[in-house]
Amino acid sequence: MKSWKYPALWLTVGVVLAGGLIPVITGSKIMRESMFLILMAVTMASSLNILLGYAGYVSFGHIVFFGLGGYVGFYLIAEQGWNLIPAALAGGLASGVLALLLGIALLRLRGAYFALATIGINEAMRTFINNFNLFGGPIGMELNFIVYQDYGGAANMQWLTYWLMFGVTIIAVLMSYGVKFSRFGLGLMSIREDEDAAMAMGIHTPKVKTMAYILSAILPGIIGVIFFFRNSSVQPAGAFRLHRSIEMIVMVMLGGQGTVQGPLVGAALYEALRSYLLTSPLFKDLQLAIAGVLLLLIILFVPSGVIGWLRHRFKGLWRVLE
Amino acid sequence: MKRYFLLIALLVLAMVATACGGAAPKKDDGGAATGGGEKTVVIGYTASVTGKYEVSSSGQTNGLKLWMEQVNKDGLKLSDGTVVKFAAKTYDDESAAERVQLLYTTLIEEDKADFLISPYSSGLTDAAAVIAEQGGKLMITTGAASDATYKKGLSSVFQLYTPASRYLTGAVDMLGAVDPGAKKIAIVYENAKFATSVVQAAKEYAEGKGYEVVLFEGYDGETTDFAPFINKITAAGPDAIMGGGHFNDGSTFARQLFEKGVSPKMLALLVAPPELGFAELGDAAVGVVGPSQWEPRAKYSEAAAKEAGLEWYGPTVKGFADAYQAKYGEEPSYHAAGGYAAGVVLQYAIETADSTDPDAVKAALEKMDSLIFFGHIKFDTSAEAHGLQKAHDMVYVQWQKGADGSLTKQVVWPVEGQSAAPLYPMK
Repeated sequence: MKSWKYPALWLTVGVVLAGGLIPVITGSKIMRESMFLILMAVTMASSLNILLGYAGYVSFGHIVFFGLGGYVGFYLIAEQGWNLIPAALAGGLASGVLALLLGIALLRLRGAYFALATIGINEAMRTFINNFNLFGGPIGMELNFIVYQDYGGAANMQWLTYWLMFGVTIIAVLMSYGVKFSRFGLGLMSIREDEDAAMAMGIHTPKVKTMAYILSAILPGIIGVIFFFRNSSVQPAGAFRLHRSIEMIVMVMLGGQGTVQGPLVGAALYEALRSYLLTSPLFKDLQLAIAGVLLLLIILFVPSGVIGWLRHRFKGLWRVLE
Repeated sequence: MKRYFLLIALLVLAMVATACGGAAPKKDDGGAATGGGEKTVVIGYTASVTGKYEVSSSGQTNGLKLWMEQVNKDGLKLSDGTVVKFAAKTYDDESAAERVQLLYTTLIEEDKADFLISPYSSGLTDAAAVIAEQGGKLMITTGAASDATYKKGLSSVFQLYTPASRYLTGAVDMLGAVDPGAKKIAIVYENAKFATSVVQAAKEYAEGKGYEVVLFEGYDGETTDFAPFINKITAAGPDAIMGGGHFNDGSTFARQLFEKGVSPKMLALLVAPPELGFAELGDAAVGVVGPSQWEPRAKYSEAAAKEAGLEWYGPTVKGFADAYQAKYGEEPSYHAAGGYAAGVVLQYAIETADSTDPDAVKAALEKMDSLIFFGHIKFDTSAEAHGLQKAHDMVYVQWQKGADGSLTKQVVWPVEGQSAAPLYPMK
């Protein structure tokens, strides 16, 4: 556990704690809803970063884990009467199992082939759910409002789900840090730099990559359950929105792929940029186009993202920015 | 260490700034409460300014804005002398559920909205309803047809539209009335929430009436080649084809049926036929029937109300349609009429309650049983389906050729609202 000595960990956790506690301290419901979206984005981006940033595998269809986990958990709550917390864990588990199965098959592919396959997986899963009557088919599922009474009413439920999201985000950040400074993380980064060389060095690359894929899938599955539980309904079109996957990639690239704080900074900045673009009369219809241009510019000129650039520019911050 | 603390402070500030900016304010206009016998009631809603619901949602917003402009000329006069005027607070929901709860929380907490109007679509309304219910705010929904939303145990959400389960049942009734000998129906529909909800209910209804549903097949919303479905339809030999989903797929389906020479006695499709753009199909549009929540040719009037033993309230159909045409330069769609009607229903409840107190307004809504320009409005008050629309019926339009050969959209069902007799068989 050498990693606990690093100030970057405390900085990262401290920022999430401080930011996440603001709505609790102020009691502001608006702040709570804003921070909920930011924490959700941070968790999604941090999870994706394990695969994209550490292992160098681009997943364009990562939202599939959010959607599938959300569906499984929602089904358990709405149809089987489960409590939110075990249902959320089951959603995470379902996503992890899907990642395991997909990982065994897909992670034999590399580069663009893997990226394209992940898009196919998301579309295939959306179509499957659309025709899966147990999950309501194209109609989806609805949650009776009376269920919220078990959580102290709808108002309490909003706070409870906020706390859960807050907790999951802290786990996401800790996991991201733990993976980066573990032997497993070093294996992933060696795959990112040169997979053949990594194999030659004795790393069991299929196993390591599959583990990374599973780790990156579990938390999106859990927050999918929390999100749809809050919304009281789930439908295929909302659960498997491909452009959310692209936004996750933009967040990771913006903040700095392969860094612990990158997804945190990227998610927060992207949410802020999104809010600005949406309300700007000039850019409101060009939100996704601008996100695409931004991604292009980052890849061309700042491939290491904000955190990477800061680390390069200010050597004194190396111990703080990871 | 000093440097670290500075960094932490900066990052926390960034998160706070982001959280504060996250509400994405896009306010329409202000409107503080004023004293001296005048009261400003704030109506909050989100509109899909961007995203896939932009067109339908903008019609809804235009209708609501027109109502507000008209009612604010003189205001609503209560018996105690108070003049009630209205102000709107609105944000863009991007046609996506992610931000809806944040925006409705902002409307309630920051903008102090007194009453809420729903976003467009059932999916977004589901998310908004959670916030409205927990905030104890009345929400009138328009553009949200799903039955399920109102069967969740909500108590402060009131539906204006005819529920999805009754979208196509009128078409089945019409078929029975114009051709008692018809027996076979083929249902081909978009495999999505709205269309599936509609056709499942229509299938059950048709079978209950003794029809044989010879084909019940879903297609993906992106489908552009309907040949496999058309082949199955031809093989099944139905008297009527029903289904569709949205504008693009419905139009393509109708065009390809025409091109392949398939002419059932009746073709009833969702969403596409009521749109004016459907006429661009030319001869392929002739005879196609579509359910509509409202049409400018609908015959809802004070006389019709009297005949039905109902109270009449608000402007006439022509009054609304002309005002809308004058303001926006186009014929109002049913989405626009729905937005305007949401305002009229709220106005009715405030006037009937003689108060802006939410409990009194809610009680007035629960008792409402009136005919307005949009149709008959009455809400379910049972615990199982509180707020579900019980009385409003769809009207069914059909594209027919006029004497000069031009295409005209006629209301053909129900009989009491007919502007022309149904063209049957359609070709």
